[in-house]
Amino acid sequence: MTEAPPRSTTGTAPRRLVGTSVPRKEDLALLTGTARFIDDIALPGMVHAKVLRSSLAHARVRSVDTEPARELPGVLDVLAGAELVGKVKPWGDLMQDLLVGDHFPFATDKVLYEGQELAAVVAETAYQALDGCEAVAVDLEPLPAVVDPEVALRPDSPLVQEGIVYEFGDGNIFDRYKVRIGDFEAAEREAAVVVRQRFATNKQAGAALDPHGCVASYDSFTGVLTLYSSTQSIYMVRDVLADVLQIPRTKVRVIVPEVGAGFGSKAQIFGHEVIASLFSMRLGRPVKLVLGRGEIFRVGTTRNAQVRYAELAMTADGDITGYRDYVVHNTGAMSVWGNQVVHIGTNVGMLPYPIPNIHVDSDIVHTTTAPGGPLRGFGIPQVIWAKEQLVDMAARELGLDPLAVRARNVVDPEEFPFRTPMGHIIDSTSIKQCLLASADAIGWTAKRAAPVPYEGLGLAVSMKYTSCRHPSLDTDLSAVRLRLETDGTVTIYSSDVSHGQSHATMLSQIVADGLGVGIEKISLAPPDSMTAPFGLGTYASRGAAVLGTACRLATERLRDKVLAIAAHVLEVGPEDLDAGNDRVYVKGLPDSGIHLEIIAATAAYRTHQLPPGFEPTLETVATYDTPTEREASNGSGNLSVTYSGAAHAAHVRVDPDTGQITVVDYAMVHDTGTVINPLIVEGQHQGGFLMGLGMALSEDYVYDEDGHQLNASFKDYLAVTAPDVPELTKIYEIPAPSTTIPGGQKGAGESGTGPVPAAIGNAVFNATGVRFTILPITPQRMLIALREKERRGVATIRYPDDMPDFTGPRTPEEWPRPTAADGGDFDFDFDWDAEEDTD
Amino acid sequence: MQKVTLTVNGREVTAEIDERTLLLEFVRDTAGLTGTHNGCMEARCGCCAIEVDGDVVKSCNVLAVQVNGAEVTTIEGLSPQKLGPVQQVTTQTLAGVYEPLDAIRSSVEDLHPLQAAFHRCHALQCGFCTPGMVMVLKDYLEENPAPCRDDVRKAIAGNLCRCTGYQHIVDAAMEAAEVMRGAGATTTDD
Repeated sequence: MTEAPPRSTTGTAPRRLVGTSVPRKEDLALLTGTARFIDDIALPGMVHAKVLRSSLAHARVRSVDTEPARELPGVLDVLAGAELVGKVKPWGDLMQDLLVGDHFPFATDKVLYEGQELAAVVAETAYQALDGCEAVAVDLEPLPAVVDPEVALRPDSPLVQEGIVYEFGDGNIFDRYKVRIGDFEAAEREAAVVVRQRFATNKQAGAALDPHGCVASYDSFTGVLTLYSSTQSIYMVRDVLADVLQIPRTKVRVIVPEVGAGFGSKAQIFGHEVIASLFSMRLGRPVKLVLGRGEIFRVGTTRNAQVRYAELAMTADGDITGYRDYVVHNTGAMSVWGNQVVHIGTNVGMLPYPIPNIHVDSDIVHTTTAPGGPLRGFGIPQVIWAKEQLVDMAARELGLDPLAVRARNVVDPEEFPFRTPMGHIIDSTSIKQCLLASADAIGWTAKRAAPVPYEGLGLAVSMKYTSCRHPSLDTDLSAVRLRLETDGTVTIYSSDVSHGQSHATMLSQIVADGLGVGIEKISLAPPDSMTAPFGLGTYASRGAAVLGTACRLATERLRDKVLAIAAHVLEVGPEDLDAGNDRVYVKGLPDSGIHLEIIAATAAYRTHQLPPGFEPTLETVATYDTPTEREASNGSGNLSVTYSGAAHAAHVRVDPDTGQITVVDYAMVHDTGTVINPLIVEGQHQGGFLMGLGMALSEDYVYDEDGHQLNASFKDYLAVTAPDVPELTKIYEIPAPSTTIPGGQKGAGESGTGPVPAAIGNAVFNATGVRFTILPITPQRMLIALREKERRGVATIRYPDDMPDFTGPRTPEEWPRPTAADGGDFDFDFDWDAEEDTD
Repeated sequence: MQKVTLTVNGREVTAEIDERTLLLEFVRDTAGLTGTHNGCMEARCGCCAIEVDGDVVKSCNVLAVQVNGAEVTTIEGLSPQKLGPVQQVTTQTLAGVYEPLDAIRSSVEDLHPLQAAFHRCHALQCGFCTPGMVMVLKDYLEENPAPCRDDVRKAIAGNLCRCTGYQHIVDAAMEAAEVMRGAGATTTDD
């Protein structure tokens, strides 16, 4: 798979690197231990901070006495909530639809979740800081916890957030979301079958191995606060931090070292970043604050768990004509991004089917649990878990083949771009071919025809956004600045943090092709808000497409400048020139021409040789904002610049004695458009699968009724290990290059996650007759379900819906209704003229 | 406080340390070798795996005082920095700076076969788990030179990776095993 990078040898035609598996430029430092992650940073005079966190999930703060800690050896300073009130601005309101300042460095009058910050100590050593935290005297009055989001909806539920007025919510409802496309009730009347099922999903951790952490260093003379942080987005951290501290943005500098992954869990500012900054400003010394694993589990944001009351209408021929859903979305005690997950996940999660009638209501609910946030897939795996199982259920009722039903319904227009009823603009897709190829790779037809006891096959398809214009963040931009250095090497500046995505390699491939410069001469500068152009950060699978397009544009601009100089020197037109082999040459004569280093040195050091009027130096910048739409009031819109496709086929085996579920074989066929580096994209898909497998079979936050997380460690939180994963060799690409993105790329990072839980769920049903409606599908649950199925002597059974101890609604007649009925807080079809007299 | 001496990658390091100091912290903070990572502090993620007297251990669950006098090898010990005397800095060596990837492919003496194989197979993404993975696999392959893929999976069952799905890590281990057995004289793939 790997190929040697091209040599700058004279006489060979320049090779294109985009599309080849160039070995990564990032690897050497990471392999040899010289790469510097956040915990590796040590500054002169640096001291250490630790946070005292609440051991209760919900409590009134009676008092926090920091005095005993101040007496201890080595302790330099102690902070707690009360003294910061009025001095530090609450945050959570950077983006226009999140008009809540619900985040503060410490709990002041009330604790909302286990692990929330109560006080922090800074000392000469980390051990002294821990001793200091132990000495802080905290008096908390326990309040009843609320862990279940449906309980949180009840009028008698404990109120989590007090004193915050929500624009679209009330009580524990943080926000609401609706989709109204077509007429679901008409589809329901005309359908041959409507399948209805309650599905629940789990609270999964990103569990990036590199801890969340930072080093803050304040210089009172310049007034500059420098924050080294393991974040995914330097400008979101900088802008919020400057706002919280009420200092100019030029006085906050955010620098990012190597970041050991994030998966979405590092895509916002955290309390510890504010705390370390405050300490450094108070002491004038650098302060390190790196979180421990238990802290990261409790405060580092999780996948939002959902309950979905989902319905799918299908005609006798197998056409999907309608989808209705009521979503109770558990976003934890507080969340910057949590409500966005429902909007985006539901909008994009309707794909790959152009469903004509969609009716979704969602209540986005606070509970006294860990904050929800983005996590690989951003709401899409949750929707797919429900929708793709409904497809199988409907096909079964109609006696149709699940493969044939999907093949009939996936978006496969005769002409592109194609606008779905939900508003997605599909500029290209090969999802139908992907589906057929995945089924073929797993041996669908032959194996389904010859079933083996306790073995089964399952399919699921999804399409994942590439970039995203969030409803609360009307922007989708990335930027790149390029400089051709005076020796012919190139530096790339970007604010989109690479934390495993291989930006240095991927961007270098684009630059190498555009400028004809050897990839070994190209470097990516570390993200630094003092030098990088403004960009949103690395999330939403936007790196290759959005950042890559900015890089392509900057490269084209730089190329134009380089060619202009060469044309002037060689006395030819720029259109007669080409770039390659580290030089610019007259087309057809790659051995001749001027080396880039000569051109670069001319632009900087011999400016009188430049073309008349040429602005010296060779530096260009480009910003690319995608041509995406804002979310419409009916919930529709094209929120992503293009959509990558994923069709997965799973073959599972269930051990009836132990309940163990083994994924025997797994096929993934993807449309990632034009692939810049096939080996890197393959790695992204394999990693995406791992996250999906954890969601499907093992990972979840387990709470007791008091809101204590019982598994806040890798001992009890069952992160996927190597023996759990099947051989992932059946990975295929069927590229349908994006026609919107100039290079044709689509997002790779998250498309491997979306279909996994549903494909496994469908395979498990095929193997056992047990329809799991909650995640994860653990061996214990499997055993209980198999025994109950045997006891009742039935062919199929649902878990947990048909279990004797299930307390939730078992039938659609018992389902709860959305808290805001139509015509409630906002009515899309309200006719102002006709109803003038209503008040 | 207690005085502890360890030989880390062949260098003797002595320090007066807090008795609570973990071997991981001694390696990182006292010996100044930050390639050994702290991912969980509960001996579950494996990012802190190093060799102590020839056996691989998770250094976050060992006190430095427990292994006083031991020989320790970390990821940095597998591939010493290539440092040349000043007179070697010529135009040619500067030009060599431009080809770091060649160094990996062309000679096994620059990198351990596992490091080279990880690079070739794209067995690392964020790279945080990599040093621990490499140390555990080194220990395992030295004792089990011809494993099957499932053996390798079991060998790294105590090391978490959240990025790769493990597939390319197993690929790299199988390739490196071949090189370490001597079946392949070089690590080059072209």
